[in-house]
Amino acid sequence: MSASPGISAFPRSDANLFDWVGTIEGPAGTIYSGLKWKMSIHFPANYPYAPPVIKFDTPCYHPNVDINSGAICLDILQDKWSAVYSVQTILLSLQSLLGEPNNASPLNPDAANLWVRPDDFKSQLLKHYRPISE
Amino acid sequence: MRGALYQRTPLMNAYNLAFQTHVYSVLPPSFTRGFKELVTLTFSLSNVTAGSEWLLAIFNQTDRSSNRVDAALWSAFQRLGLSERYESLISSICYEYVEKHIWKTCVGKWDEPMLNTIRDWMANKIVPWMLMPFARGAKNSDDAKSMLQGVGSRLDFHVCKTLADIRTKEIFDIIVDYPDSMNALKDLKECLARVDQRSQLVQILRRANKRRLLHPGADTKDILTQYVSIIRCLRMVDPPGVLLFKSLTESRRSRPDTIRCIVASLVGDGESGDSLVDENEPIQPLQQLQAEDYSDPNWEPEPIDAGPDFRTSKPSDVISTLVSIYDSKELFVKELQVLLAQRLLTITDGNYDRERRNIEILKIRFGEAALQVCEVMLKDMTDSRRTDQHVQAQKTMVLHPTIISKHFWPALQSSTFTMPGQFKEYIRAYFATAFKPDKKLAWLPHLGTVKLDVELDDRTISADVMPLEAAFIELFSSKETWTVAELIAEVGNVDRMMALKAVSTWVNLGVLQEQETDQYKLLNVAEPEDALARIRAPAPTHVEDMPPITSVQQQQAEQMQVFWKYIEGMLTNLGQLSLDRIHGMLKFAPGYDRNIEQLAVFMEAARREELVIAKDGMWKLNK
Repeated sequence: MSASPGISAFPRSDANLFDWVGTIEGPAGTIYSGLKWKMSIHFPANYPYAPPVIKFDTPCYHPNVDINSGAICLDILQDKWSAVYSVQTILLSLQSLLGEPNNASPLNPDAANLWVRPDDFKSQLLKHYRPISE
Repeated sequence: MRGALYQRTPLMNAYNLAFQTHVYSVLPPSFTRGFKELVTLTFSLSNVTAGSEWLLAIFNQTDRSSNRVDAALWSAFQRLGLSERYESLISSICYEYVEKHIWKTCVGKWDEPMLNTIRDWMANKIVPWMLMPFARGAKNSDDAKSMLQGVGSRLDFHVCKTLADIRTKEIFDIIVDYPDSMNALKDLKECLARVDQRSQLVQILRRANKRRLLHPGADTKDILTQYVSIIRCLRMVDPPGVLLFKSLTESRRSRPDTIRCIVASLVGDGESGDSLVDENEPIQPLQQLQAEDYSDPNWEPEPIDAGPDFRTSKPSDVISTLVSIYDSKELFVKELQVLLAQRLLTITDGNYDRERRNIEILKIRFGEAALQVCEVMLKDMTDSRRTDQHVQAQKTMVLHPTIISKHFWPALQSSTFTMPGQFKEYIRAYFATAFKPDKKLAWLPHLGTVKLDVELDDRTISADVMPLEAAFIELFSSKETWTVAELIAEVGNVDRMMALKAVSTWVNLGVLQEQETDQYKLLNVAEPEDALARIRAPAPTHVEDMPPITSVQQQQAEQMQVFWKYIEGMLTNLGQLSLDRIHGMLKFAPGYDRNIEQLAVFMEAARREELVIAKDGMWKLNK
């Protein structure tokens, strides 16, 4: 629903507009390129004064993403949230986070340690990755 | 009367029974036919004596109590029990006779009220006749009246039905003949009040419309004229307008230019000068859909045959009715905008009074708010002149632009060719002086006209031409021979048709000459006249003058492109979806007003372009 390539989001159903589904493509030129992730976006009742709750539905091997729950560690989704962020800006931030992880505060320490060895990282990434089924 | 006396005795009864049984059993099958003919004959002699010699000869008339010659015949029928036995036959003969009379007198006769004429004729001719078979025992006129009441009202119903049948069959022509056929419509109204044939009328009218009016050969304007007549006529027959609503709704959207025609006639734009609207009719605001006011003491329920989507309409003027046939007046306002834009852009003398007047008239109909956009458009035009004067005061320019507000004008067809040479300079110079720094000017080079003089070696040609034509001739001043492809390459983004058309304008003016296919040469010295005549190509008529304004249809197509973004979004994120789901979700998109059929058509088109795949009623993106 946006003009930005590689990201999109849409309400899950017309019954509940607080519940969205998003799709992110891995940015080109990064280890994630060519892969796609599905994510769920839930808007709290006091949105946009509180950030939406976003997590990966597709397993994502990434230093700042919990591999089991899909929870994301990103400052703008927590204490740095501002009401001016939109779904589009959030997804763009997430997309860039894929290529530039913040290894200082990892949710997935293994991934953070592996980041310096791209080949091993890629094999771990592909081991966990599940392609999106239509 | 003697017969009646005898019948009281049982013996007489038994005799009658036996007699009748025997007589009836030997009657040949042809008897009924003969009887029928005999009875039919009596119609012609109920009052007159002439031509009734054969009757007198048979009966040797002695009964002078009746002044009718056929009295003896009827009493003979009575005595033989035939009146009773063939009562239904006698009435059917009567019906047939009346029916035949109505057909004979009424078909095609619409200029005078026939129903009353027929009723008079009935009173004078048929009622006296009916006295014989149906009111024989009557002692006085009151008695006769009460005896005739039942059969009489049945007969009256039959009269109404026959007339209604005739008029229903003729309804299309009656409407064509309106207002000369006013009386026929009044008759029809009265008949329909007695006979329930309203749905039949609607059906026949619809069928006639389809067959005779809505065929491809008919001009939209003629169709509208007929519609207006239909509206007027049916309003007369059926004031609440149920019939009207039913007869017009189906055929309404069959033509894309209907709205345009209506709008054109709203502003009195008819080429022939006569608009659909009666000048004498006061201009009224369009009816708003309003909740029914049940506290109104004059409230009446909706007519019984009104459909569920029938909108109660108080009698209103013709245009209101035409507009109300469509779902919303927004469509009209949109089309009106397009029309207004076209007209405003063609005005070169700066006289917008006519348009202003039209807008004021339309404001009364559609309301101030709906026409606000049109107001802005008008204001743009006058403002443009002011701006132009202001700019000219600072620095004299050859350019007189019209500055329009993008958001308030209907989408203009965008074309982005670049003007070469001196035109480019003019435009650049103008931009430099533009005096509202917070506004951005976007140049629309394909609109407008250029007044120029072409100076050639032996002559000077002055012309008002399209900007593209001006651009081309300018190019010829730098080089004498150009191919169409070269010309297009020079100005950019122009399609070949437009380019050819522009070139042919100059060919017709004798400035250019086609040397080979697609190659043109500037004629610095005029060719001799006869040579010119030979070269002068007929302007390619197949190139239609494209209206510079995007029509409502095109706008809708563009809108659909926006919705496609939404559809793409939902199919990306939600996987495959049914048409219902897509439709339901799209309802959240701003401005989405399509119905599911339209969406289906759109999705089908997307499938043909291989953007989506449909399987088992589920749609998904083609990846």
